[in-house]
Amino acid sequence: VEFTKVAADPSIVNLGQGLPDISPPSYVKEELAKAAAVDRLNQYTRGFGHPPLVKALSQVYERVCRRKIDPLTDILVTVGAYGSLFSTVQALIEEGDEVIIIEPFYDCYEPMVKMAGAKPVFIPLRYKNNGNSASSADWVLDPDELANKFNSKTKAIILNTPHNPIGKVFTREELQVIADLCIKHDTLCISDEVYEWLVYKGNKHIKIATLPGMWERTVTIGSAGKTYSVTGWKLGWSIGPQNLIKHLQVVHQNTLYTCPTPLQEALAQAFWIDYKRMDDPDCYFYSLSRELESKRDRMAQLLQEAGLKPVIPDGGYFMIVDVSTLNVDLSDVDEKEPYDYKFVKWMITSKKLSAIPLSAFCGPETKRQFEKYIRFCFIKKDSTLDAAEVILKNWNKQTA
Amino acid sequence: LSLSLQAKMSRPVQAQRLEGIDKNIWVEFVKLAATYSMVNLGQGFPDFPPPDFLREAFMRALSGENHMLHQYTRAFGHPPLVKILAQFFGKLLGRDLDPMTNVMVTVGAYQALFCCFQAFVEEGDEVIIIEPFFDCYEQMVKMAGGTPVFVPLRLKAPKDGKLTSSADWQLDPTELASKFSERTKAIVLNSPNNPLGKVFSRGELELIADLCVKHDVLCISDEVYEWLVYDGKEHIRIASLRGMWDRTVIIGSAGKTFSATGWKVGWTVGPNRLLQHLRTVHQNSVYHCATVAQEAVAQGFQRELELYGKPDSYFIQLPKELQQKRDWLVQSLDAVGMKPIVPEGTYFLVADISEFKSDVPDVPDSDEPYDSRFAKWMVKNKGLAAIPLSAFYCGAHKNKYNHFIRFCFAKEEATLKAANDILQKWKQEKTSP
Repeated sequence: VEFTKVAADPSIVNLGQGLPDISPPSYVKEELAKAAAVDRLNQYTRGFGHPPLVKALSQVYERVCRRKIDPLTDILVTVGAYGSLFSTVQALIEEGDEVIIIEPFYDCYEPMVKMAGAKPVFIPLRYKNNGNSASSADWVLDPDELANKFNSKTKAIILNTPHNPIGKVFTREELQVIADLCIKHDTLCISDEVYEWLVYKGNKHIKIATLPGMWERTVTIGSAGKTYSVTGWKLGWSIGPQNLIKHLQVVHQNTLYTCPTPLQEALAQAFWIDYKRMDDPDCYFYSLSRELESKRDRMAQLLQEAGLKPVIPDGGYFMIVDVSTLNVDLSDVDEKEPYDYKFVKWMITSKKLSAIPLSAFCGPETKRQFEKYIRFCFIKKDSTLDAAEVILKNWNKQTA
Repeated sequence: LSLSLQAKMSRPVQAQRLEGIDKNIWVEFVKLAATYSMVNLGQGFPDFPPPDFLREAFMRALSGENHMLHQYTRAFGHPPLVKILAQFFGKLLGRDLDPMTNVMVTVGAYQALFCCFQAFVEEGDEVIIIEPFFDCYEQMVKMAGGTPVFVPLRLKAPKDGKLTSSADWQLDPTELASKFSERTKAIVLNSPNNPLGKVFSRGELELIADLCVKHDVLCISDEVYEWLVYDGKEHIRIASLRGMWDRTVIIGSAGKTFSATGWKVGWTVGPNRLLQHLRTVHQNSVYHCATVAQEAVAQGFQRELELYGKPDSYFIQLPKELQQKRDWLVQSLDAVGMKPIVPEGTYFLVADISEFKSDVPDVPDSDEPYDSRFAKWMVKNKGLAAIPLSAFYCGAHKNKYNHFIRFCFAKEEATLKAANDILQKWKQEKTSP
């Protein structure tokens, strides 16, 4: 919440908050116009999800997961993936429970777990030095360290793949390690997969729910905002077995009851359009990914030329960057603040470029480990990246 | 399996806060209406569209040059919307409102209610709820760990031969006062009231206000039907009474205000010392509300601000139209022997179905309240959907007023006519040998 205020200034090139400044595909907007023109679609729809939308979601995900998904019992539509995370935590987590959170983490996981009265247990992704290239794949969990975090109180683990902020796409082997522990300790898995379609060449998004023994203990979360570049529609969904989803539905009927109708109708129609071309490279799920891959590569190059060390993400639309190589001296600024916070504030005021400090995504113990990193968002139109390029090319001139 | 794992696996997977709140009348009745009804006067939503000016605003927002309206906006409310709400309600309350701190936008009034209960109620707290009540109040108080305390509106006998009015349902002042204790954290006020349609008078509001001030209790004021008042009645905002602004959260709804329930845009208005806590809940549960609808609602309010008090104002035209529909339905029901309680506000009407009881025999020892069985029978056999009044009472009191059903009259003339036809035919079937 802090940083969105600072970056609302139009003179600043905003690569901070994770929202696209590119336009959603035109057919998505057209479907919304069509939906809003139908009288009854401006009134309440089914609480747990507009029937055409849950039907479309079940079709898309049946194909991806290769299993039957009942649209009425296995799916809940929520206000963004954020709403799905909230419903899942409120439904299944309470005082006395522990929830494992992998650091760095999307910052709402911790407060949501605490709000449910439970205890967050952190485990960091650790950088495994593999030589020159810095890739998100270099950040891994230590299997023994992870195993030690599980005990009889562990109710759930929150998994985020592709990962925000690092962009890591967990491999099948890595997911198997997590799955084995979940099964051994009878732990639930809350799998935040909002960036599921944004994986780059050489990588494959694997759903942990499809691993043996995992469907019955996993809630998988998705997002229209990330899938269709419409973060302002705030529609998300939880998919899982009826015996878990039914509890999320209870939370939903006691918190906001229904999600907006015209948006759900439009989303359903957009999904049908892309479902029909899931074998076609022009399907938006794949075309967006290709578009973003070239933006990723451009961003990485610009950062490297400015003397920064980016960690090339295998997925998602964020890139973390090691800024310690620049040796910007901020020791005269407030001592107590982590370095990355100070760096970002300095960068916003003196370079007119914004990003998000990585320690915002860490628990208290790990802030020191990540404070030399900042996060850039690259789902930006060419003119924004051009403006960033100008700043980065001039960076060293001004610092000298 | 280890003992601790066995113990874990034998515990329910869901959190305890869900206990007692898993049933929901709407899930059941909405499904029934969808399956059987030919004329749906059940769930509360208009079957006519939102006004043209609002639909045009929505189209402009979604297709305009500014495609950033499809991305996140400010979490606590889209700036154009909170600004106009602050202006509009500031004018109504006679107060200077800061759009950033005195207003927060929510996903419908429903989510506003949720934020209030989560922000202010916890274990050990009591919350006073006036019966009959919009059913989610009880569920939400329980989910927050609080204890609901009920106080009923009681029917004062109407004058002979006259139709009952929602004004005849009143709180007993002594009874109300007795419900306040040192554990009372808040009272939920809903005026105009769903389901009865009661519009609380100044005297009644002062009664409540005095008790709130005396016991230092918060007031959660659900005013979603604020524009739907009839017969020249005035909707009085309790927050404008002495001592109340600082302890009241006002809740409003674009769905009810602009006949667009499917947009799910609501808001809260109140002092910063209370709204700051709503913001905390909001940012940890939903965070942002959808942008395009907020932009459109902002434009809707802009128009209404300019037309305020003028005949073209939607806030004047809509209640005028609805009053006619109300009168129509009152006539229909009265003509067949279902005794309507004439509502002073909202788009709901409750009717006494005692004369139709012979169609649905009583089942002794049944768990289900009579009116619920009646309503289910009616939708299946007559194709007419309505909601049983017992849905709006707590468990212990469901059988006290079990011969009433609630109709929604925010419907096109053709729908109300079709309802009338069903009722007439039904009456004829009863009277013919």
